[in-house]
Amino acid sequence: MRDEAHSRRAAKRLPGFVLAVPAWLWLTVFFVVPFLQIAWFSLGEKPGMFGTHSNAVMSLDRYAEAFSPTFFTIFRATLWMSVLGTIACLLIALPAAYFMAMKVPAHRRGLLVALVMVPYWTSFLIRTIGWKVILSSEGALAGFLTDVGLVADPHDLLNTRGAVLLGLIYNYLPLMILPMYVAFDRVDSALGEASKDLGADRLRTFFQVTLPLARPGIIAGIILVFIPMMGDYVTPAVLGGAKGTMVGSLIASQFLTAQNWALGSAMAVVLILLTMLIVVIAIALMWCVGWLLHRRSKLVIGTVPPPDTRPHTQEVVTA
Amino acid sequence: MSRPSGTNLALGAWTTLVFLFLFAPIIVIGIYSFNGGRLLTAWDGFSLEPFKAIIERPTVRHTVAVSLQTAVIAALLACALGTLAGMATARFPGRWAGPFTLLLLLVSVTPEIVDGIALLPWFVTLGQDWSLLPFNNGYVRLVIGHSLFATAVVTYIVRARLVGLDASLEEASADLYARPVTTFFKVTLPLVGPAVLAGGLLAFTLSLDNTVISSFINVSGTTSWPVYVLSSVRSGLKPEIAAVSTILLVLTLLVLGLVALVLKRSGSSVTDTMAVN
Amino acid sequence: MNKPVNKSGNVRILASHAGARAIRQELSRRHFLSLAALAGAGVALSACGTGDGETSSAVEPGAGATGGPMEKSLSIYTWGDYDSPEVIDSFAKTGPKVTLDSYGSNEELISKLVAAEGTSGYDIVVPTGVYIPQLIENEIIVPLNKDLIPNMAKVDPKFLGQDWDPENEYSVCKCWGTTGFVYDTTLIKRDLVTWNDFIDAMQNEASGRTSLLDDPQGVAGLYFWANGIDWNTEDMADYDAYEAEAVEKWAPHIAGFDSYPATGAMQQNTFALMQNWNGDSRLGILEHKQPDRWKWVLPGPTTELWMDNWCIPTGAPHPEAAHAFLDYVLEPENSFLEMDYIGYNTGALGIEEMAAERKVELPEMIFFTDEQLATMKNGAVNEAQDRRTEVYDKLKAAASA
Repeated sequence: MRDEAHSRRAAKRLPGFVLAVPAWLWLTVFFVVPFLQIAWFSLGEKPGMFGTHSNAVMSLDRYAEAFSPTFFTIFRATLWMSVLGTIACLLIALPAAYFMAMKVPAHRRGLLVALVMVPYWTSFLIRTIGWKVILSSEGALAGFLTDVGLVADPHDLLNTRGAVLLGLIYNYLPLMILPMYVAFDRVDSALGEASKDLGADRLRTFFQVTLPLARPGIIAGIILVFIPMMGDYVTPAVLGGAKGTMVGSLIASQFLTAQNWALGSAMAVVLILLTMLIVVIAIALMWCVGWLLHRRSKLVIGTVPPPDTRPHTQEVVTA
Repeated sequence: MSRPSGTNLALGAWTTLVFLFLFAPIIVIGIYSFNGGRLLTAWDGFSLEPFKAIIERPTVRHTVAVSLQTAVIAALLACALGTLAGMATARFPGRWAGPFTLLLLLVSVTPEIVDGIALLPWFVTLGQDWSLLPFNNGYVRLVIGHSLFATAVVTYIVRARLVGLDASLEEASADLYARPVTTFFKVTLPLVGPAVLAGGLLAFTLSLDNTVISSFINVSGTTSWPVYVLSSVRSGLKPEIAAVSTILLVLTLLVLGLVALVLKRSGSSVTDTMAVN
Repeated sequence: MNKPVNKSGNVRILASHAGARAIRQELSRRHFLSLAALAGAGVALSACGTGDGETSSAVEPGAGATGGPMEKSLSIYTWGDYDSPEVIDSFAKTGPKVTLDSYGSNEELISKLVAAEGTSGYDIVVPTGVYIPQLIENEIIVPLNKDLIPNMAKVDPKFLGQDWDPENEYSVCKCWGTTGFVYDTTLIKRDLVTWNDFIDAMQNEASGRTSLLDDPQGVAGLYFWANGIDWNTEDMADYDAYEAEAVEKWAPHIAGFDSYPATGAMQQNTFALMQNWNGDSRLGILEHKQPDRWKWVLPGPTTELWMDNWCIPTGAPHPEAAHAFLDYVLEPENSFLEMDYIGYNTGALGIEEMAAERKVELPEMIFFTDEQLATMKNGAVNEAQDRRTEVYDKLKAAASA
């Protein structure tokens, strides 16, 4: 009997990665193949005035051109903006996602999640124009801030780094709220109760039980927000004006205005590699910090009555 | 279970502020959709003219229809692919998971313009040179283009939902001689329900909002709404563009309100409903 | 070499409409490909190579239009909201169902037509003049069958024969405009007249509230126009001088790069000085709460004349309808409606008089005198394009710091 169950489980385990095959195939055909072509372009050159790319002469010269001081100046600014934007999104989204998942009655949660998305069901340009009106020097906000003395000149809202940041935060906030909500939602509130019963105070429960359980969602949110921010360039330019030049606009101007697909491709590859490197380093760092914290918290809990409570409480709760 | 405490009140207030922030520009646009002037942001008296203009302009309505149809299909597709992939990465990690995660990362890290530039010749190769006719269809192209990042998003969210939650339920189900398919539908799917809902909503939204990829890959007759809006800047954006957003917003809110009413009557949650179906 | 033309002509009578369309597309495409192969462009994707030799016979003149009956539909790929719905609707009543698609930049249009290799499915496109030599060279657009467009005679000769297509073999004026600037007279109290005045005001009264066109060519033009240098110069020393001035002197004062500031940001008085196209300025001033606050200047000594042009792409599936539409839209009465809708001169003969009669507002921002026209010069995409983009990127980097 037991053996049969085991073989069943084995049979269930066998098709495991098969579940990922459709996505894998899909992305290979429609992403990897065309992407390889871009990588191929980056090794070529722009042939004459009216061509966009040619691989007749192969070289790494485009990469040498891509590593220009201009590229790095703007890349640094973009990175800085994206990091700030991601942190701001995290801080804004965390309490809201927590509230939606833990405090709102279950039958309202789905609606709130949908409501988060509703403002985005229109073109980004329209939303951005909405912000332009709000932030304009004639707007009520500028008047108020000037009266209060927070802003010296009503013109100081638009076309500033602050406006760029606002645009980034606004555009990517849902990509932070939703994964976090989903992660908090799975944290059984009974688990929190158990933690409280075991004498942990509320703050400690949050940091030692709830937050670690929601960690995968938080990481997913950070990735989903940070990465597209690095490539975005239209909204920052509309709100930030000259201050809103992002590295994506350099790539776009090579593909479009200069019609130099070779150089554009090389810049894109550089941007992609640098961003991935940053993400990998960040994940490694977070993992290290998490591991250290985990070790510490284990030691702490170890001194309090029953050790290793987590999985057990959960089984009791869910069974 | 939790009494309204100071913390909860503060959290509620914060969440309200966040929603206010999310809706602020849309409210402004809502007001400006009643602008009687020629330009969207130059207020020139209250008027219903922009709404009339939409009724008279089939082009605008068509682009909105293109966007909505594409978004629904792209979201369903991304949900199907992403849910399976997310479950696989969370439940059956193995040596394959590393490269797969890297692939997802690459998909999300690639700027949209690169996707657009890369996909365009590829669709032509598929559709013309290899005579795979569906790839000449604008809707097919848009759905594919929008599904890439969306699939990655759904995968991340589903994975984040499942990872770390122990698989005891599924195993229990298997132990009780449920067939894997039954286990999947009765146990696993309800568990990932909220993640699929959230991921699907995001995929739908991302598709509805996509401008850069769409503008490169669409064909005759499939100009999408954001592409139309962006290209209209050359002749000065009109209030009717805001009116379209307002209509969409009002319709969405009505539908949501209706759903809320139905759910209140039946007393179940959205996610529960999803799991049952 | 003419075989495919005849063949497609026959087929169109024999086969169903849709069938004929598919066959013709396939024919023109094969033609295209075989030529690409001949030219040694191995991969189909690189069909946009330099293209050697005069192979104009490769392109089916008029996309095969001979004045036969109109097809049942017409697909126009143009800028968004760029044509009077009245004109489109009334043309649709003559037969074809009109589909309008839109793009936001010339480059999108070109990338798409190049990649589609004659199968884009569009019948009419509206590229800006400077891109036309490239479209001709890569055989992306076909010569027009001018016999089918008698109304070309009703276009003012001043707006025919531009640099990019001296004989109007491939293109005809859709509308044209020029680059000038608008400024806020409450902030800049003196009279600005020239591009030098613009540059000066940018660094003084309008510092931090100036916007330049979001276009490398237009921004480079600002320097060259002001300094009496041909703005199509390919002398790299000119670009070095331009880079030095722009990056060091202009950058700190620029608030935005915006191609449509007057119809957008100006309505909230965001900018005080804007490099701008005449149509955008006109609409912006007309709609502003205090129109008197703004002043439009067509600065000297020289400036630009740009033009969006009607063209027919290679492999257009409905060439008869396309030619019929071009003829229709060039009819002065329709041309007037188009001008009235978008606020740019469509170049029809006598349109200025019609505008005066019907009291079109601010006509001086649509129609220009011969003296003014003499200061306007066509731009060109040339060998300096890479350098222009490079300086523009550097300027943007410096301005964002």
